[in-house]
Amino acid sequence: MRLRKSLIAVLAAGLVLSACSGKSTSSTTTATGGNATGTDGPHKPGGTVTIANTTGQTWPCQFNPFNPAQNQEALGFVYEPLVHVSVVGDSKETPMLATAYKWSADLKSLVFTIRDGVKWSDGQAFSADDVAYTFNLMKEHPALDLFALWTGAGLTGVTAAGNQVTMTFSKPAKPYFYNVADQVGIVPKHIFSTGAAAAKPDTFTNPKPIGTGPFLMGTCGPNNIEYTANPTYWQAGKPYIQKIEYPAYLDNAPANNDLASGKAQWGGQFIPNIKSFYLAKSQDNHTWSPPLLNVGLFPNLDPSHAATSKLAVRQAIAAALDRNQIALIGEGGQQPAANQTGVVIPTFQKYFDQAALTSAGYDKPNADKAKQLLASAGYSPSNPLKLTVISITGYTDWDASLAVVKQQLQPIGIDLTVDDLAQQTFLNKLYTGDFDLAYYSEQNSGPSPYYELRQLLYSKNSAPIGKNASSNFERYHNDQADQLLDQYATADDATQVSIVKQLSALMLQDVPMIPTTGSVDWFQYNTSDILGWPTPDNPYAEPSPYKIPDNEQVMLHLYSKAAQK
Amino acid sequence: MRYVLRRLGFFALTLWAALTINFFLPRFMPGSPLQALRARTYNKLSPAALEEMLTSFGYKPHENVGVQYLDYLGHMFTGNWGVSIGSALGQPITQIVGQALPWTLGLVGVATVLAFVAGTVIGVVAGWRRGGTLDAILPSVFVVTSALPYFWVGLLLILVFSVWTGGWLPSDFNYDSNLQPGFNPEFIGNVLRHAVLPGLTIFITAVGGWVLTMRNNMITTLAEDYIRMGRAKGLANRKIMYQYAARNAFLPNLSGFAMSLGFVISGAILVEYVFNYPGLGYLLYNAVQNTDYPMMQVLFMLFTVAVLVSVLLCDFATAWLDPRSRAKG
Repeated sequence: MRLRKSLIAVLAAGLVLSACSGKSTSSTTTATGGNATGTDGPHKPGGTVTIANTTGQTWPCQFNPFNPAQNQEALGFVYEPLVHVSVVGDSKETPMLATAYKWSADLKSLVFTIRDGVKWSDGQAFSADDVAYTFNLMKEHPALDLFALWTGAGLTGVTAAGNQVTMTFSKPAKPYFYNVADQVGIVPKHIFSTGAAAAKPDTFTNPKPIGTGPFLMGTCGPNNIEYTANPTYWQAGKPYIQKIEYPAYLDNAPANNDLASGKAQWGGQFIPNIKSFYLAKSQDNHTWSPPLLNVGLFPNLDPSHAATSKLAVRQAIAAALDRNQIALIGEGGQQPAANQTGVVIPTFQKYFDQAALTSAGYDKPNADKAKQLLASAGYSPSNPLKLTVISITGYTDWDASLAVVKQQLQPIGIDLTVDDLAQQTFLNKLYTGDFDLAYYSEQNSGPSPYYELRQLLYSKNSAPIGKNASSNFERYHNDQADQLLDQYATADDATQVSIVKQLSALMLQDVPMIPTTGSVDWFQYNTSDILGWPTPDNPYAEPSPYKIPDNEQVMLHLYSKAAQK
Repeated sequence: MRYVLRRLGFFALTLWAALTINFFLPRFMPGSPLQALRARTYNKLSPAALEEMLTSFGYKPHENVGVQYLDYLGHMFTGNWGVSIGSALGQPITQIVGQALPWTLGLVGVATVLAFVAGTVIGVVAGWRRGGTLDAILPSVFVVTSALPYFWVGLLLILVFSVWTGGWLPSDFNYDSNLQPGFNPEFIGNVLRHAVLPGLTIFITAVGGWVLTMRNNMITTLAEDYIRMGRAKGLANRKIMYQYAARNAFLPNLSGFAMSLGFVISGAILVEYVFNYPGLGYLLYNAVQNTDYPMMQVLFMLFTVAVLVSVLLCDFATAWLDPRSRAKG
């Protein structure tokens, strides 16, 4: 999934389009996985899955699961988490290397029961020791602690006893369960405590990864990684698929071509004009790209930015935007419209408060209201407010969306200028607060809207202008929001829903960010031979091949039709 | 001898200046490797851990720039080039460059040589038959082709030979990723097929320049007295054309060719980018995108050295071929 080279992709797609005009057929996409309902049952082994996911570089053939640039090739397929949490599937949990877990009453201690009978792919037995070792290694080497578990999450100790691993925290740590249980891949102690790995686990190249996962790294070259099924995998009979081909795609265009031709069956691509380019090519081509985060306008709330720190201006923008149009024209309908509550639907439907959205008046575009609001701030079509929005060069879909935004804001009296910047320059400005409006998206999705709203609204994620903010780029500070976010850690499920709804109310009241469209997990799949894909009806995992460790769940569900005969 | 020494001194000075710029220029770019890594990992990971990680791989944002600069100069000469801190985080630069270099040399090198040879031959013939059909058509065509931008020709070729013909020729990459590299006809054929379009792009845009200069040199040379003398003596046309005219007309082109060979190593960045050809040009593009200082430093260094060495060799060759240049020194 790489948007940055979409310029050429769009050019190429334009060429393709003009080449096959007249051939375009309308295709209805019902995202069916093709598997008969509920038959997740045993299948015969066989088949190969080829992944098309643009990485923009050839493979380094290093499989250190702690290396943030390379863990996509190692986690999931080779290294497994303790518990898988499905972000898109209402946080449904699948026990992996842990069979069970239990929180203490004060939510400061977490005990995992570790699975028996699991073997590392070199034949050695897996045990609770490996789990404790993995987490303690992260304490010893802060470079490995990618989720700041020992610092931010307040982890204070991890010990193994028998088949149990106990984690203690300095504060209630329930929101970090996703990171601890799902995002960390367990590594073998007997490898990481000796030789090169022990000396420098962070720069360890790990060319032959030893894991517990369903696949073994078979061969790796700069152009392709081939994974083969692990014959001693602890889930008997799985994986059904015997081989994964993971070619290195430097650009979207070839990856999209391979998907369209069926050469690759599993895609995580942005495909412009997906209907004619991909879906119309075969009845077996499907797509389901669930939204997980919001894309939208980040207004600078710092008083030094006079216009955007004014509530009426932000309210006017939020009221003026026709988000369906933006999604339809800017994103070609491939990313759904967002809403001002900040809750991404349908993914997080149960947290969504339609009544609040309607009563706040943001349920549909209202140009008159927007005009009035803007007039109260002293601007009008005859005396327009001049604003500049920064965006990233090469993100052509965002450019298209912003063109629609500009058009919609014109009549109410806002003259928007789009300033496309190189990614590095853009991020510099975004982090340090050097912008009026920025078009961006929080990046880090989690199993509920809390994770995004926390990044967006928590004042500790912000910083004064000129200093790097970690995620609250608009510089929002509201004690009530901070309190709500703090309470979430100890709240039960029902209270958590109510907290998210209260945070939504703040989104409606203060308009700290103006969502326009959803940001999705790009996912395309071909069912001519391979079945068992995640679907809206069976969202057992995040479907993109670049989502780790969800890629493992997908591979454990897939099977080959041809092999069943 | 004094000439050679002066050239060598100039070489050393230029190299030092280029290396110094190579070190500082990337650091003046907006952004940092840390920021690039944060963006690439979706801002999901702890910045502190990422900084530690980059430090382990040799990124030292807090160390004195002077010390870093001296270290860097030393490393450039000892070949201790470190590891990538960009998108191939942790992969040794020598390995990355080693993988990319043959592809660039093969593609851009061969295309450049072919363009030079073909351009020279066409130029000789066009100049010889001045005013003929060939001479009437070709120069005007080549004025146009040599002015075409690389990437545009590339996109056009992709459209015609790959898209319209339904994938007749591959439009990207160096070989099909489902093949295992090896010396067998299938693999070699595949590599060649993948090289056709990018090679043709370079050929089309480069050949025009050679044709035009060669033709013009040829015309000037043909006006010389010794050509008239040859004709008067009744030498065969072919002999005059190749051995008397072309040989002399060829000299200025040769030095131009030596220079262009120096630029081969930097690849045709745009061509490699359009065709996703994993050569050095593509690497440079990626390194800049990801603020990969070590990678950029090594690539710039290689490019500079390649150009400087070819200029140096060209100087020596000229000194050897043309006594006048020595006399002036």
